[in-house]
Amino acid sequence: MSDAAASPRGVKVDLGALWVAPPLIALAVLFLYPLALIAHAAVYDATDVVNLPAAWATLGSRAFVNALFNTAEIALAATAGSLALGLTLALIIAFVPFPGATFVARLIDTFIALPTFLATLAFTFLYGSAGVLNGALVQAFHLSDAPVHFLYSAWGVILAEVTVYSPFVLRPLLAAFSQVDRGQIEAASLLGARPWRIVRQIILPAALPAAIAGGSLCLLLTVNEFGIVLFIGAKGVITLPLLIYDKAIQESDYQAACVIAMVNVALSLGLFGLYRVAARRLGA
Amino acid sequence: MTLAAFVDEAATVSGAAELRGAASTVAFDRVSVAYRGAVVLKPLTLEVAAGEILAMIGPSGSGKTTALRAVAGFVRPAGGRIRIGGADVTDLPPYARGLAMVVQNYALFPHMRVFDNVAFGLHARHAPKALIEERVAHALEVVGMSQYARRLPRELSGGQQQRVAIARALAVRPKVLLLDEPLSALDAQIRRSMVEEIARLHAELPDLTILYVTHDQSEALTLADRIAILRDGALSAVGRTGDLYRRPPNRFSAEFLGRANLLPVVVESAADGSGLVAVRAGEERLVVAGADEPAGAARLLCVRPQNLTLAPDAAHANRIAGVLREIHWQGELTHLVAEVGGALLRVVATRLPTIPARGERLEMFFSPADASLIAEDADV
Amino acid sequence: MLVWSRSGKAMVWSFAALVIGVVFLAPLAVILAASFARQWNGVLPSGFTLEHYAEAGGGASGAAVFASLTTGVVASLVALISGAWAALALRAQGGGAARMLGVLFFVPSAVPSVSVGLGLLVAFSQKPLLLNGTTAIVVIAHFVLISAFSFGNVSAGLARVSPDFEEVASCLGATPAYRLRRVTLPLVAPYLFAAFGLSFALSMGELGATVMVYPPGWVTLPVAIFGLTDRGDIFSGAALTIILVGVTLLLLLGIERTSAIWAQARNG
Ligand SMILES: Nc1ncnc2c1ncn2[C@@H]1O[C@H](COP(=O)(O)OP(=O)(O)OP(=O)(O)O)[C@@H](O)[C@H]1O
Ligand SMILES: [Mg+2]
Repeated sequence: MSDAAASPRGVKVDLGALWVAPPLIALAVLFLYPLALIAHAAVYDATDVVNLPAAWATLGSRAFVNALFNTAEIALAATAGSLALGLTLALIIAFVPFPGATFVARLIDTFIALPTFLATLAFTFLYGSAGVLNGALVQAFHLSDAPVHFLYSAWGVILAEVTVYSPFVLRPLLAAFSQVDRGQIEAASLLGARPWRIVRQIILPAALPAAIAGGSLCLLLTVNEFGIVLFIGAKGVITLPLLIYDKAIQESDYQAACVIAMVNVALSLGLFGLYRVAARRLGA
Repeated sequence: MTLAAFVDEAATVSGAAELRGAASTVAFDRVSVAYRGAVVLKPLTLEVAAGEILAMIGPSGSGKTTALRAVAGFVRPAGGRIRIGGADVTDLPPYARGLAMVVQNYALFPHMRVFDNVAFGLHARHAPKALIEERVAHALEVVGMSQYARRLPRELSGGQQQRVAIARALAVRPKVLLLDEPLSALDAQIRRSMVEEIARLHAELPDLTILYVTHDQSEALTLADRIAILRDGALSAVGRTGDLYRRPPNRFSAEFLGRANLLPVVVESAADGSGLVAVRAGEERLVVAGADEPAGAARLLCVRPQNLTLAPDAAHANRIAGVLREIHWQGELTHLVAEVGGALLRVVATRLPTIPARGERLEMFFSPADASLIAEDADV
Repeated sequence: MLVWSRSGKAMVWSFAALVIGVVFLAPLAVILAASFARQWNGVLPSGFTLEHYAEAGGGASGAAVFASLTTGVVASLVALISGAWAALALRAQGGGAARMLGVLFFVPSAVPSVSVGLGLLVAFSQKPLLLNGTTAIVVIAHFVLISAFSFGNVSAGLARVSPDFEEVASCLGATPAYRLRRVTLPLVAPYLFAAFGLSFALSMGELGATVMVYPPGWVTLPVAIFGLTDRGDIFSGAALTIILVGVTLLLLLGIERTSAIWAQARNG
């Protein structure tokens, strides 16, 4: 008898493996098959004829290149911002705890459950041309025009994404910080180490895996973000997902939409692979 | 098990005896196990008699758990058959084998109260409610946990959880009880009392066959009728507990089961049928129990530390002289280490007339019946 | 324990309060305020009104609440069953193939929602499966997007259940079905509840795929909110957002309570 016989289910292994079939079929029909059809539609045009020049034209178009550039810029900046904000808050909540710190951590955590476009909508009231900030500035300095306009640029998207995605960094970091040996920190401060030195030499190394895992998840989510960009609706800020939406729904140019979708999916899967490797390597 | 079987057995006498299943043998017939090509249990042939406690001991990774899991049906042997009560169960799923098991961390179902934990196996076999009540009550009584029926596992101490795990196993009246290091999660003191408790339990349930896996040789020596010693996935020795301890068949079992002094000797004259053999260790001529030893053969003389005494008397006919190298007083016992012709011998003495000093010459005595001869390469 | 001095702590805390206030609390607060505001032209909103909520209570907005709730509950339930099924089957199977399949079940979480929607639109606008324009395609889109999270949650829960429990159960005579019902599922129950809660929250906020596939008669809350704000009716949009947040949080709280009550009842 072969070695396979040592598996717990023994001879029945072949039958037992069939149990996974129903959810697998659902996944294949509802997810993999549509994905394959996107790939198919990327090279066929509306008349169902292979049309590679059209696909190339889409990839070379200014709109696509701009969207790709915007997506990368926004994702990287938002991820960096989320890491900075998440790390700062995690450090304070974990190591300079204040009354109600755990409640605050939970509150921030609920942001994970809220729709992302909520941030954009709120920003409209806060930083929009008729919003709180501009209103205050106009009133204080007797200006005739609203002075703050960042909301309708890439910055608006980046800041909204930082608000929405920093909880995704905060959560694993808080988990990692709870494992840091408090005795070590106390010993270091007794030896006269300054706080920033303790942070750099003891806390950050311990938090690195969580930061990398949280950061790469952030990168993936920001590359895929749609709601925030759609709600801001600024002409100059088009990302890949938004361009796909525009091409498919506004222009009914399905081939172009599918070509861009292929690029976006490939980018996301690449990031997903990185995230899995990082998460596994670092055990986070 | 059928419903009729429950009703049937329910009508038997009360008390611990009620928890008895029909006694069963367990037989390994050339059972081997491999994980992804790596053989971790070499063809094992071993029989556990009905109503006996067989302890399976061996160092970590020697395949004890694997052998036990093969009986339970969690690993499928790569070869060989397993029989329980004479019936071939190799192809039966675990739940159809009529066994019960207690594992190292007890695995009490955390979401069930003690009562429901103990009732689990009976529920699973669709026993009638009245019978379940009765059986669970008895099982809890046997392990002294009746007052705790309404508790959750997390509200119990380690020792109490252990008792509940045993009660849960006994409640189904298993043909065979499998125990995998059931005491190793307990601290030393509770462990000792639990060993005694299991011994008492077995005295009350003489028909229960128990396969007891442990790497603690003192548990095995206390509880087992017979001991099987595994090494690197192979059976190194098996025998009645006392025999195996007194006359280990090879160096590995001698050293694994308690402490042993192994002194290289040469057989002087072939066995003469008296059951005694004369051997030479350096200058000394010694007489030990043994048979069929050819003259001139190199052997290891095995004698346990507590069988060496420092005072000569009629029974202790053999004398070895050495030099005292170490002496440790440990309250009840004194441990001495003496050097004899380059080899070190350990002596455990309960009482010493005079305390010898290091470097002093020491004479040690032992009885021929307390020593045995082991072939030098028996375990290779 | 990093900062010991009183003044140092006060400084750090005021900084934290400022950041948390500006970044997390202010957005929620302004949306809440706007949902009750008649006008907002200066620093503060002016005029208190329940009009926006009254509008939301009936008509199109009411239908959106219904569509979102229905989609969320149905998609989350299906995702929970499928995810739990897959996680259990892969655990029973074990080995390298099961690990690879496990990664496959995670992949939908990595693909941008707009692309998932586009794929469904392309795939189900043609034979053999014509679903375009039905409610089913919205539910399917949500199911695909949340399935990975359900699977992940249940898998994580199962990974924490020691195989000892299940082995002891089988040894005591439990058939696989009985063992699943009485041992495995109760042990992972907290993770099942959590999986459902997370799935539901994600579904309630889903926009990218929905906007690609929704039929006119099945407008979910996020799509309705986008419609309102796109038309410039941001106050009604704010009211509907508050309803969305409220419904989501209420259901999450409800699930948490149910989980706790259920755990108690189980032990009672
Ligand atoms: N599921 C498995 N897959 C691969 N190898 C395994 C598996 N289970 C056990 N082994 C290997 O089989 C050998 C025997 O393991 P087993 O658990 O039977 O040892 P043991 O005698 O019970 O040890 P211990 O005293 O440490 O419990 C070990 O080398 C172990 O690494
Ligand atoms: Mg073991």
